[in-house]
Amino acid sequence: MSFNETDVQSALKNLIDPNTKKDFVSGKSVKNVKVSGADVTLEILLGYPAKSVWDEIRAMVEAHLKGALQGVGKVSVTVSSKVVPHAVQRGVKLVEGVKNIIAVASGKGGVGKSTTAVNLALALAAEGARVGVLDADIYGPSQPTMLGISGQPKSVDGKSLEPMTNHGLQAMSIGFMIDGDDTPMVWRGPMVTQALDQLLHQTRWDNLDYLVVDLPPGTGDIQLTLAQKVPVTGAVIVTTPQDIALMDARKGLKMFEKVGIKIVGIVENMSTHICSKCGHEEHIFGAGGGEKMCADYNVEFLGGLPLDIRIREQADSGNPTVVADPDGTIAKVYKQIARRIAVKVADMAQDHSAAFPKIVVQNT
Amino acid sequence: MLEIVFSDDVSYQLPYEYLRVYSPSADVSGHGPGQEVLQVGKKNVGITSLIPVGSYAVQINFDDGHDTGLYTWGYLYKLGKNQAALWQDYLDRLAAAGASREPRP
Repeated sequence: MSFNETDVQSALKNLIDPNTKKDFVSGKSVKNVKVSGADVTLEILLGYPAKSVWDEIRAMVEAHLKGALQGVGKVSVTVSSKVVPHAVQRGVKLVEGVKNIIAVASGKGGVGKSTTAVNLALALAAEGARVGVLDADIYGPSQPTMLGISGQPKSVDGKSLEPMTNHGLQAMSIGFMIDGDDTPMVWRGPMVTQALDQLLHQTRWDNLDYLVVDLPPGTGDIQLTLAQKVPVTGAVIVTTPQDIALMDARKGLKMFEKVGIKIVGIVENMSTHICSKCGHEEHIFGAGGGEKMCADYNVEFLGGLPLDIRIREQADSGNPTVVADPDGTIAKVYKQIARRIAVKVADMAQDHSAAFPKIVVQNT
Repeated sequence: MLEIVFSDDVSYQLPYEYLRVYSPSADVSGHGPGQEVLQVGKKNVGITSLIPVGSYAVQINFDDGHDTGLYTWGYLYKLGKNQAALWQDYLDRLAAAGASREPRP
């Protein structure tokens, strides 16, 4: 029995991508289908970075086609990823060299935003994406320490800064510009927002798929500047399970809603404590807080991370968990969260432009 | 006249004067209900530019120098939907204050 390209396409309509939960055809992933005789070749182009699952997807597609098409000969599938840039309103200035901006935020301080941000950035990079980290916490920059970067950024043209690099990430932080670990930035709001604007726009980001912005806690100057001045693709809210943190996380979420930034989802940090002596797992800050918040606001629960001494030690030493122990269980959780974020961001990039009203000025 | 079409295909035509006197800026709306400042003599006001603000609003720069109002999509929708009532309310308030839409000579 013979078949053609259309048969291959319709066979793939019944195969669901386990990451996007959509079939490959409506996800627009199927490219270059060619049938010659009984042999089939095609490409699967994923909209999210997923190096670790390329083989899995290739095997899945090949097996599916062998089952669906009668008399099929050789099936060869190539899988690759291409992150699409986020669509924006006309007139909004894009950040040069950046396809998507993901803000990592929380209402409350000390819930592990920076640790989560750096590990998620590293996890996205491990999946094959080009990733940068912008430390938007002007008063308390942590990324230089967590990424193990010291020294000052260089400027080639005297106007812009080259991002610092380590662990395959590009990074920029006010922390690179100041001397010593104990120099405070004693600045009022306008200075801080100006500094953020410069770090963002005057860094020569090199062809990034994702720029992860590590925001300071709160709902003030920095957050508002980011929301108004740059096209943020989506925001990830980090919280811990106890009520007092959730209260502020809710405000953080509402702030993004107010300024029209979509919420990618919620990450619950310090979900459980695992005893380093006996391995006993306990919900010391309460259970199910993050999930409940997700249910209340109808956003995705991206995942929960344990309160594990290694996460803290590794981040403090400049080798965050995802690079220090890339195959460990904690790194796996970060990678899973990162993949969920990437899939969601790819979705958002496609249907974003429709959200803006059209405005026409008529001079009468 | 500013024409705005929303994603649900509803469209409104909003005159510049109407937008100007209902600016959401604190100069016009105050910091809460009851603090509104009546705008007068804006009949011939024009728009010099529109600046997008993030993904949630537009900043309208008027030719009388007023530029501090950030019109969110929701606010513009409200202005469109209740245009007749809000405009009449403005005219009533003008009359009550003995003021005019005409610019002062």
